[in-house]
Amino acid sequence: MAELKGADRYKAGVLEYKQMGYWQPDYVPKETDVIALFRITPQPGVPADEAAAAVAGESSTATWTVVWTDRLTAADTYRAKAYRVDKVPNTDDQYFAYIAYDMDLFEPDSIANLTASIIGNVFGFKAVKALRLEDMRMPVAYLKTFQGPATGINVERERLDKFGRPLLGATVKPKLGLSSKNYGRVVYEALKGGLDFTKDDENINSQPFMHWRDRFLYCMEGVTKAEAATGEVKGTYMNVTAGTMDEMIRRAEFAYELGSVIIMIDLVIGYTAIQTMAKWARQHDMILHLHRAGNSTYSRQKNHGMNFRVICKWMRMAGVDHIHAGTVVGKLEGDPLMIKGFYDTLRDPHTPESLEHGLFFEQDWASLRKVMPVASGGIHAGQMHQLLHYLGEDVILQFGGGTIGHPDGIAAGATANRVALEAMILARNEGKDYMAEGPDILAKAAKDCSPLQKALDTWKDITFNYESTDTPDFVPVETPSI
Amino acid sequence: MRVTQGTFSFLPDLTDKQIKAQIQYALDQGWALNVEYTDDPHPRNTYWEMWCVPMFDTKDAAAVLLEVNECRKVYGNMYIKVNSFDNSRWRESQSMSFIVNRPKEEPGFGVARDAGPGRSLRYRVHSYATDKPEGARYK
Amino acid sequence: MAKPGTADETEANGTDAPEQPIPTELDLEEEFQRSDIQSVLDQLDRELVGLASVKMRIREIAAMLLVDKARRQMRLETEPPTLHMSFTGNPGTGKTTVALRMADILHRLEYVRQGHLVSVTRDDLVGQYIGHTAPKTREVIKKAMGGVLFIDEAYYLYRPENERDYGQESIEILLQVMENNRDDLVVILAGYANRMETFFKSNPGFRSRVAHHLDFPDYSAEELFKIAGLMVAQQQYILSDSAAVALREYIPKRMRQPHFANARSIRNAIDRAKLRQANRLFAGRGKTKLTKNDLMTLEGADFRQSRIFDEPGASGAAGDHGSTKQ
Repeated sequence: MAELKGADRYKAGVLEYKQMGYWQPDYVPKETDVIALFRITPQPGVPADEAAAAVAGESSTATWTVVWTDRLTAADTYRAKAYRVDKVPNTDDQYFAYIAYDMDLFEPDSIANLTASIIGNVFGFKAVKALRLEDMRMPVAYLKTFQGPATGINVERERLDKFGRPLLGATVKPKLGLSSKNYGRVVYEALKGGLDFTKDDENINSQPFMHWRDRFLYCMEGVTKAEAATGEVKGTYMNVTAGTMDEMIRRAEFAYELGSVIIMIDLVIGYTAIQTMAKWARQHDMILHLHRAGNSTYSRQKNHGMNFRVICKWMRMAGVDHIHAGTVVGKLEGDPLMIKGFYDTLRDPHTPESLEHGLFFEQDWASLRKVMPVASGGIHAGQMHQLLHYLGEDVILQFGGGTIGHPDGIAAGATANRVALEAMILARNEGKDYMAEGPDILAKAAKDCSPLQKALDTWKDITFNYESTDTPDFVPVETPSI
Repeated sequence: MRVTQGTFSFLPDLTDKQIKAQIQYALDQGWALNVEYTDDPHPRNTYWEMWCVPMFDTKDAAAVLLEVNECRKVYGNMYIKVNSFDNSRWRESQSMSFIVNRPKEEPGFGVARDAGPGRSLRYRVHSYATDKPEGARYK
Repeated sequence: MAKPGTADETEANGTDAPEQPIPTELDLEEEFQRSDIQSVLDQLDRELVGLASVKMRIREIAAMLLVDKARRQMRLETEPPTLHMSFTGNPGTGKTTVALRMADILHRLEYVRQGHLVSVTRDDLVGQYIGHTAPKTREVIKKAMGGVLFIDEAYYLYRPENERDYGQESIEILLQVMENNRDDLVVILAGYANRMETFFKSNPGFRSRVAHHLDFPDYSAEELFKIAGLMVAQQQYILSDSAAVALREYIPKRMRQPHFANARSIRNAIDRAKLRQANRLFAGRGKTKLTKNDLMTLEGADFRQSRIFDEPGASGAAGDHGSTKQ
């Protein structure tokens, strides 16, 4: 049924969302509109455009019945507009719905406010069987209200004095149970051996076996000793995640007093806490690392939840400096094309529309700084050529098991990774086809470095070849020439 | 000890041929290179002395290597590194950095610890090289 | 002193590709085709009228380098060839153009890595005060590395009359680089033949480092007329019959004038004629409409207004003479 106008539109009672004006197929989005792209699976019998209108309505001004108080407002402006619905390729019941929101629906500089609308009530809405937020286009004017990454890739590199190669890290293992003194030992060995960073795991906070202050103190001893042993700037991501905002700030301040270059938070602390910590980090010259703990609960299934690229966008706006964004070759979820989409979103000043990488919109990043993606989970030195090829230079490669599990010890594991990396960069810059010659390059480098040889022998056949669940919907096809 | 700043410090020292290949890579990206030296490689010694300003109009690696070798003639027993600078928008920062010369013996660094309140420690990483006056280091 | 990596240019580095086996036979024609030098030689023929002896020398040099390369592939004894050259001849005889093509040929045969030409004179190399010259010369050398450094009127570097002239400093640096960086840089010294001769006499170091001397003869009147034809066509103009006659008369007159600079003087004469043509068309505006042909054609009168025709044999007053530079 067509949209109703004037008094008919506001007669008390229940109308279809389309009739209420949430479906506007002729609407041309403004430069200043926020646009969201949802994957909708409507309930049987609900037409796609009505489902799209319903999502637009429930994520903006609508309620289940007509209210006369709408007429006290410029309702036409505040109503979100579904303006396009496309069938998802290779599915029976899924649709991509494009919905435009006026920028003034959102409070400046607040991810919490943005998300309360876009992924608020609407995800539990009965008219849709499943709903997934696939992508968003942020207007430049809106982006300009956000701080963006506290440090950014360029400044981080200048502070660390490390250029022209990926950075190396490792997560201290085992995740749980180490005493603080033993924990600091791992930090010292790994950094002395050649890594740039070590990392607390997401669930290391302040448990009975290790109080957070003890951890920070011993870690700092490890970091400083490693700096003296190598002449390099080193860091360990001190996880300040805690139960209250006050407690997180207290921990961050202690890390600051100790002279740490970096702190860490978990995604589960929430958007407002993340933004708060990003502003704190900017004020305290601190790099802010984000572990994406929890994201897979809503990002992994294709038909419901939200795509990780949206998290990438929000986190760049919220202001983190590092975020785990996939490895392609490791143990965690990651289709190569999708991961390129995430990495581009985090690192590029401008991302063009690219359906094959899951980027539905052109996005100008309005000079927000660049976020350093972190590749972590089941990667090892023998994959160095693939990692460099897929992930590029501006990335942190985290070899947790691949460092600490080395048969000759942690420092040897770290050295193996660093040598493999430097040999690969050297070869790439010399113009070698390092993807094809990768194993040879590593074998040759191992001749001067027995720890690398041992690493290659230990993990030579380890790969994780599972099907990705989050795969592209669009595959590039050749346009037939006429 | 061995200072491992710069990109290739974990590999055997680069030969001139290898250095040239790295320089040519940077030139091919459109980056400008310079040569810097120091007798104090403290990790936070940001500003090494410039042997020359970045060479913006150089096409060939031999030109940069020429400066490296001139610098070695004068400061052969100090740390010398090659840096490249990328002036493209959104970077406008350094793009490569690697050491091409080191002193015969690298004295390294010590850690001084001052006990503070509670268990906290104030750390100071100290360059042993700076124990001697400038000019008398690495003799 | 620990200087890792300085003593090694000859020793293979760890990442080098394995040595290739020695071929049993080589096809010189194939090598020649692959380098595509012929296209450079053809280009020279198109660009430069006459200069048969120079073109012959270039072919000889190209052949020598090609054979040298083949010998190296067969692992025969080869000295790295010295490629520094001197180009002598009067202004406007094509020295710079040939130098450009020479850089191209050397690049195609992989004797220089980048193949660009940096053209300088004394002012670019020599400074005004103490400590100024060395960095200036080094700066130029660094720009030219991987290509060809063309030093026009090289003899101005040497000023025997002035003991404290900084040119000597520049000469010393150049000599050092010409010796030590033969793989990185080819130097071409250019200028008048007689002055170059004096220069080499007082700087034997240069003479011994220069392997190829190319002499650029003056053009004949007929060659200059051909050159004029090429220039006019290149700029999308045409000479009317009367213009051709006028130009044929003009050339020998101009050749007798002082400051005659071969092709360069011809270029200047054509530029003047273009100016007069524009004036003529402008003066006639409103009377008739212009055709494309009108816009292209240079008439006899456009040349005959030159003062060379007014004052036969007069010296120094000719309106068309170019200075020796530009």
